[in-house]
Amino acid sequence: MRITRRQTLALAGAAPIAAPALVQAQARTISLWHVFNLETEAYMREGVRDWNAQNPNQRIEERIIPFAQYRTELVRAIATGDVPDLCVIDNPDTPSFAAQNQLTDLTQRVATSERIRASVYHTGPWSTAQWRGRTFAVPRDSNTIALYINHEMFRAAGLDPARPPGTWPDLFAAARRLTSADGRVSGLMFSARAAEDATFQWLPFLWQAGGDIDRLDGPEALDALRFWVECVTSGVSSRDVLTVSQSEGVNRLISGNAAMAISGPWDTPRVSQQARFEWSVAQLPVRGEGREIHASGLGGWNWAIPQGTRNADAAWRLIEHMSRPEHMAQSWRSGRLPPRTDVPVENPVYAQAFRAYSEQILTARPRGPHPRWPDISRPIQTAIQSALTGQAPPDVALRMAATAIRPILQQTPLRG
Amino acid sequence: MPSPARTRTRFTDSDALLPTLVAGALIFIIVFIGYPVAYNLAMSFQEVTLGNIRDFARPFVGLENYQALVADPLFWPVLRNTAIFVITNVVLQVLLGLGLAMFFLQDFPGAAWMRGMILAGWILPPLVIAAVFKWLFASNGGLINEALMGAGLTAQPVNFLSDTATAMATVTFTNVWFGTPFAMILLSAGLANLPRDVFEAAQIDGAGTLTRFTRITVPLLMPTLLAVTCLCTIYTLRAFDVIWGMTGGGPANTTNVLPVWSFQLSFQQFNFAQGAVIATMMFALVILVALLYIRSIRSELRA
Amino acid sequence: MRARVAGRWALTAVGAAITALYLFPIYWMYASSLKSPAELFRSPPTLFPSAIDLAAYTWIFTRENVLRYLANSFLLAGTTTFVTLALAIPCAYAMSRLRSRWVDGALLGVMLAQVLPPALMVTPIFIMFRQLGLTNSYEGVILALVTKSLPFAIVVLRPAFLLVPQELEEAARVDGCTRLGALFRVILPAARTAIVVCAILVFLMTYGEYVYAASLLSRIAMQPATVGLYAFIGAEISDWNNIMAFASAFVTPVIILFILMQRLIVQGMTAGAIK
Repeated sequence: MRITRRQTLALAGAAPIAAPALVQAQARTISLWHVFNLETEAYMREGVRDWNAQNPNQRIEERIIPFAQYRTELVRAIATGDVPDLCVIDNPDTPSFAAQNQLTDLTQRVATSERIRASVYHTGPWSTAQWRGRTFAVPRDSNTIALYINHEMFRAAGLDPARPPGTWPDLFAAARRLTSADGRVSGLMFSARAAEDATFQWLPFLWQAGGDIDRLDGPEALDALRFWVECVTSGVSSRDVLTVSQSEGVNRLISGNAAMAISGPWDTPRVSQQARFEWSVAQLPVRGEGREIHASGLGGWNWAIPQGTRNADAAWRLIEHMSRPEHMAQSWRSGRLPPRTDVPVENPVYAQAFRAYSEQILTARPRGPHPRWPDISRPIQTAIQSALTGQAPPDVALRMAATAIRPILQQTPLRG
Repeated sequence: MPSPARTRTRFTDSDALLPTLVAGALIFIIVFIGYPVAYNLAMSFQEVTLGNIRDFARPFVGLENYQALVADPLFWPVLRNTAIFVITNVVLQVLLGLGLAMFFLQDFPGAAWMRGMILAGWILPPLVIAAVFKWLFASNGGLINEALMGAGLTAQPVNFLSDTATAMATVTFTNVWFGTPFAMILLSAGLANLPRDVFEAAQIDGAGTLTRFTRITVPLLMPTLLAVTCLCTIYTLRAFDVIWGMTGGGPANTTNVLPVWSFQLSFQQFNFAQGAVIATMMFALVILVALLYIRSIRSELRA
Repeated sequence: MRARVAGRWALTAVGAAITALYLFPIYWMYASSLKSPAELFRSPPTLFPSAIDLAAYTWIFTRENVLRYLANSFLLAGTTTFVTLALAIPCAYAMSRLRSRWVDGALLGVMLAQVLPPALMVTPIFIMFRQLGLTNSYEGVILALVTKSLPFAIVVLRPAFLLVPQELEEAARVDGCTRLGALFRVILPAARTAIVVCAILVFLMTYGEYVYAASLLSRIAMQPATVGLYAFIGAEISDWNNIMAFASAFVTPVIILFILMQRLIVQGMTAGAIK
């Protein structure tokens, strides 16, 4: 049977002879599961290395799981009771696990922590870690999406890259001029594939139009979807938006086959190394024509301690270690933004991109939080794809999505 | 003409050995496959959440999950997609496989080599196959569209994977590419095993190529043909990786088939019970196919 | 005579064309692995890399230790093939000789055993293996892989054994062989083609297997190449150059093995034809 800390201490008091055995029991490992496998993820590697250097008696046992497998493996861990001590969870998924009591309640620990306090975190990321007023996770990093633009193509089309399009009509007009007649260059690339990418990329447009997920059958949502439909039917965006990921859209920017691409800071290191042209990151354009709402999507990863681990204390200390502002200052080198307000990032690499994304993230909104986020996201993806392929007119597609989502929101309203 | 098989063998004393040999492998299968099947079956009748997935005794809800699944607007489209995908794949893979097998059976320089090389397509990880074909079929920058437009066959690129009308055909094409070597090699082995003397006798008797094919080859090859068809059906029914990598079930669920939907339900939407219902339904479907196979082998021919 | 020779070479040409067309995607994989990242997604696509970029190959051999992954792949595939055949041959043989309702039922069961997609099978298998202490062990993975290929092998070998005449066997028995002896001495050689083909297919199936290996082996040192491939699929980005290079390294040894073994396979196939 498992020995709790109290029992261990009691035994220690009662039997001094057991002292050597005690030392053995303390020298444990902390099992940590995460997805950061690529070479660019120095941020995670350094955090692990620093901890191991300072805590040789409680080393981290890392398990790196590819993103495609990650959620499945977490589910499997829960199903077998074999959970890690600490793991990362994508922020829209956190409520799903929290609402089912699969994450340790951290409210008390946060209350007594010096380093981790609600006031120090940006509201967006912090809200994804809450459920029904209690804290179940701690934000690790944040990201959002903005517009990469190719300066050379702008100039060649007679546009000024220092003044990127600020409204949807401007964006469309610019994209029109940037699209080549033979289809080799798309004016604007985004992702509308049958995955979370589509929802993540379209929600900013929905919000900027003044709509929201609980009003998908409203005029704002229609406005937002019509914009995307127009981009595709007019040819300024390739039909391949229906199959490419956000990153693959940026690949086309890099190879010179797209003038603008919507994506996040995770692509910045790559663009910086591989693009053979001058580029910058611009804010997502607002709706214009009376609506000036700035909005973007909020992505990122949270730390969470699964329910059922015996090492929660050590895991919590590890979270605190990873949440040191001086450590978080390193996250930008891996293309990740800190979720805290007190992180000093001096002389960031890719400085312009850093400024642009830091500004964009101030208006980034989280998805939900809602414990059935995937059930909400899928009808939205289907509606987007349906409208973009012409299978159904946008209003019909959105109405179907609204019908699918309504009962879910009735059961649990958006934002818990 | 070969005579039909006897349906009973004569049993001698040492024939306790045979059932034992069968039993050995079967017990292995029952234990290691029976448990997962039972697990899924049980889940399909329960209410399963992240909260109780660890337990075995979950609330019993009877046929509720089945009803909910059938009432889902995706149910009939997915079923239809699956039927189209499976039938087209099996027909094409078996026919192409047979054609290629017969072609490469002929005696010309390099025949065996080439047949072996074609099998290389089967080795590629599905992730890579999905990626490569996705690139080849891209609307802008895809090699196939370049070739079609360059040859003047189309003026505009064909939106292979981004059009609800063509997406299914495209993933089917890719899966046929992926699966045909398998059918080909099995049929090659079967063809190589056929007794030559019967063919020679027929040739001497003046039978033409087509007659030889339909009256001799096909009947003799029947056991292998049936096995290949049945296996092809089962493998295509559960084929997940290629479709997942190319379209994720889209656009707009036009390439969504049972295994893809089951994965989405279980591991994306945390609806494990309905995912298990689909698994059970797939099982039931295959029982039909397998029963047909068993019935057909009753009339198997023996050498 | 001349026409016949010309006819044969014409067939070779047709065969070569078919093979080349069929293998084009594999060529595309190799070519992609040698392109620079920017060129990989360029439109119009280039048939040949404009400049050979070996960065991806350097990476996978030095930083990712692709050789260790390949060694694991070969180990798992080889052992699984051996165990599968050892179990499948007796079973298929027995099923080919024994005809009864029970055997039909067993065959039905064998067919059904293959229905469920591995993605759905893995969770219960994982649970079972954890109880048995088989996770993170080669034995456990091999066991799981055998469950996957055993039904296939049985279904494929059975018709092959059917084609071996009973008379051959009975002749051997008359000469004093036991049934098992007859199996080894007479039946197996007669069904050699099918067994070789079955072995090749099981090997390839296992070599390319991903799901079981990924779930049952969490220690990187033990993982086969199919899992290693995913080391390049990040949370938001996929490193396609490295993926293609890795996949090329993954496929090439098997293709080479094939070419070397062609003689064996060809012999097996043509031997069966001479009866």
